[in-house]
Amino acid sequence: MENVIELRGVSKALKAFTIDNMDLQIKQGFVTGFIGANGAGKSTTMKLIMNLLQPDNGEVSVFGLDYASHEKEIKDRIGFVYDSNIFYESLNLKDISRIVAPAYKRWNHQQFKAYVNQFELPLNKPIKKFSKGMQMKASIAIALSHDAELIIMDEPTAGLDPTSRRELLDIFQEVMVDGKRTILFSTHITSDLDRIADYIVLIDEGKILFDKPIYELQEQYALVKGSTELLDPDTEAYFIKIDRSPNGFQALTKDATKVKEVFGNHVVIEEASLEEIMFYMKGADSHYD
Amino acid sequence: MFNLIKKDLIIQKTQIILFIPLIIFLILFARDISPIFIFLVAGAYISANAYVYDGMVESNILLNSLPYTRKLIVTSRYIGAMVYMVLSMAMAGAVLYLFDYSYDMMDMAIAAGLFFIFAAIAFPLFYILKPAYIGVVMFIGMIALAIGFQPAARFLERNLITITDFITSLSTTMLYLSGAAIAIGLYLISWIISQFIYQRKVF
Repeated sequence: MENVIELRGVSKALKAFTIDNMDLQIKQGFVTGFIGANGAGKSTTMKLIMNLLQPDNGEVSVFGLDYASHEKEIKDRIGFVYDSNIFYESLNLKDISRIVAPAYKRWNHQQFKAYVNQFELPLNKPIKKFSKGMQMKASIAIALSHDAELIIMDEPTAGLDPTSRRELLDIFQEVMVDGKRTILFSTHITSDLDRIADYIVLIDEGKILFDKPIYELQEQYALVKGSTELLDPDTEAYFIKIDRSPNGFQALTKDATKVKEVFGNHVVIEEASLEEIMFYMKGADSHYD
Repeated sequence: MFNLIKKDLIIQKTQIILFIPLIIFLILFARDISPIFIFLVAGAYISANAYVYDGMVESNILLNSLPYTRKLIVTSRYIGAMVYMVLSMAMAGAVLYLFDYSYDMMDMAIAAGLFFIFAAIAFPLFYILKPAYIGVVMFIGMIALAIGFQPAARFLERNLITITDFITSLSTTMLYLSGAAIAIGLYLISWIISQFIYQRKVF
């Protein structure tokens, strides 16, 4: 399995934030969901991948190429969507496509028009008069109209109403049908990912806590509830983080099978949602991966 | 690079429509201003607007996410500024001619020289300053220019004569050539500085 993005030992110190020695691999042909709380480092990592930020140390390679000598070639094959509008807002979509299209070798105007029709986007209305959902759709139409092999989206569903979110997720699924494309998709709305992600990367405080196939997460991770009497230093070792209350404890484990073996029917084991995993992993020791 | 230069025209469609009325306005309502000033405003018009536009939205993120290198973005800005200066001044010259406003080629040359100096100072600043301040700086700059231009021009005229007198051994051509060399030299140095700043810019 090939990696379309690789970060090796990447460090970047910003004013209020540091990424230290990060390793990350994004597999080709899959949807990877990049999750973490606000301020966990998702956007910074995305910017490092897009070469908007250059690492202080370490290497970033995309399609096996480095930015120092292949910047144009790499970006020609990437479609990007950011959470805020980056297009000249007084321009309409037609003019924006006039600016963007000649930058790409494989811009497909028919394809662009097809997406514009599908998303019901007006071509002659200034972008600033677009709703948030329309702006996102416009970004996506542009990102998908030059035969990009890698689509990088930073919080594409943020600020969208549930209907638009669903619509967008459907579009992403359609885009993935041919199996050649890779999507890296950051979000803090984890329910978006249950439907479309193949891999989940969790980041917290600039550190990658895990990078796993989603089915593995669903199989291995579980929420465990039981009486606090069951807890002692030995049994606590099975859990990533434990919440205690007068009524008992609730904890996240990454080894559901083992917990079942050890505690048997003394505890209740439930499937952990991505949100719960994210919540319990936050602030837990990073040696759990 | 051609695409990046052309981009400014697409963005400024409306402003370009206003360009000729602006020149006519200057001719009609400011009859006694120096044609140098008109040429300077005309020459700087598109480039100055381009910076304002690029500062307004996060267009640096857009441009740098497209298949362009940072080097190419800065290069296009500097070359584009020259191209637009030449085109705009030619257009302003044509409008002035139609309105029977007298000027000579030397006015154009001095305006071009001033533009190079103005751009040499302003462009790197635009890359350093936060987008929000660019408008303010532009505004103050324009006011300073408007207030200071006439006295400065008179001062220059007086001193130009003194200097010409002083270097009588040099021909006027020589004098203007060295003036041009200094202006273009500053522009080239500014270009290198902007490259240096933009390579390290954090978006």
